[in-house]
Amino acid sequence: MEIPTIKADRRTEVGTRVSRLIREQGLLPGIIYGHGETPEAFQLSAHEFKLHLRDGVRLLKVDFGGQAGDYLIKDVQYDHLQKDPVHIDLTRVDLNERITVNVSIELRGTPKGIADGGILDHILDHIEIECLASGIPQTLHPSVADLGVGDALTAGDLELPAGVALNTDPDVKIAAVNLLATKSATATEEGDEPSSTEPERIGGRPEDQGDDSGDSK
Amino acid sequence: MAMMPKRVKYRKFQRGKIRDRATSGNSVSYGEFGLQALTKGWITARQIEAGRVAATHYLHREGKVFMRIFPHKSISAKPLETRMGKGKGEPAHWVACVRSGTMLYEIGGVEEDVARGAMVRIAAKMPCRCRFVVRRHGL
Repeated sequence: MEIPTIKADRRTEVGTRVSRLIREQGLLPGIIYGHGETPEAFQLSAHEFKLHLRDGVRLLKVDFGGQAGDYLIKDVQYDHLQKDPVHIDLTRVDLNERITVNVSIELRGTPKGIADGGILDHILDHIEIECLASGIPQTLHPSVADLGVGDALTAGDLELPAGVALNTDPDVKIAAVNLLATKSATATEEGDEPSSTEPERIGGRPEDQGDDSGDSK
Repeated sequence: MAMMPKRVKYRKFQRGKIRDRATSGNSVSYGEFGLQALTKGWITARQIEAGRVAATHYLHREGKVFMRIFPHKSISAKPLETRMGKGKGEPAHWVACVRSGTMLYEIGGVEEDVARGAMVRIAAKMPCRCRFVVRRHGL
């Protein structure tokens, strides 16, 4: 997969106020670190970066005015609505070195246990793997079609691409098909009338339970 | 039974002020789809329960509904035709303080269009503006 190139500018001013001003201009603040070198602050086009992120890109070729290098997207911070990125972390990477990254898991197929009244629980949506920087799989797509009720897919069951090693405990469950806890229809759907009972008071004496002030004098 | 804490240290709360925006509990963590609050406010135990009932009814008990908020705060009220004074009223109901960005409900184990339909019905029961979100896989 070809590594996309993105233009960026180094910046000397850092801090919350400066970052806010950068975002108002449609840019995204970020930092580069790794390989024992000095961290460098930079800014790049927020729109362009979001398009690459949407395509599932993990490696970027960042061009600082003719001086380009390969970087791994280490972390992306989002706003309070988890919608727009507000800051990115890039780490220096050599395409031939082995790195540890988290890769997302998207399940494929409908488990046969669903026909028997089961429900698919997607317990873990990413795993840690070790691979070459140039060969990071975008997403893993294990099939869950064979899972019956009570069966589980573990990390050890995953078929990893060549050159990729699992860094997670192989016994960790990724998905499982379980039966739904059955309750009576009235209790589940309609609910009961609100009770007038009050919660128990922690540390309160029995005679204080109905006291208005809550103080014992 | 309406949602309320089992044990509390104090029966009555001051009204408080919902400051800032959600910095935690603002991403889809349990299911595949979520309903996110876009404005802040109090959501009563009845509203939370009404949302759950609406979703369960729509889903025909398929999939799984996760409630991400809980009414921890009691709201007191004075009886009708009572003169002012004589101390703070008795707890009347319980509310969850919700900040902008808080994930209210999550649904897993169903297709997106089904989850979207259920979330629309929950949103109609909520006192705040909401939006439907899909879990982000990866960065």
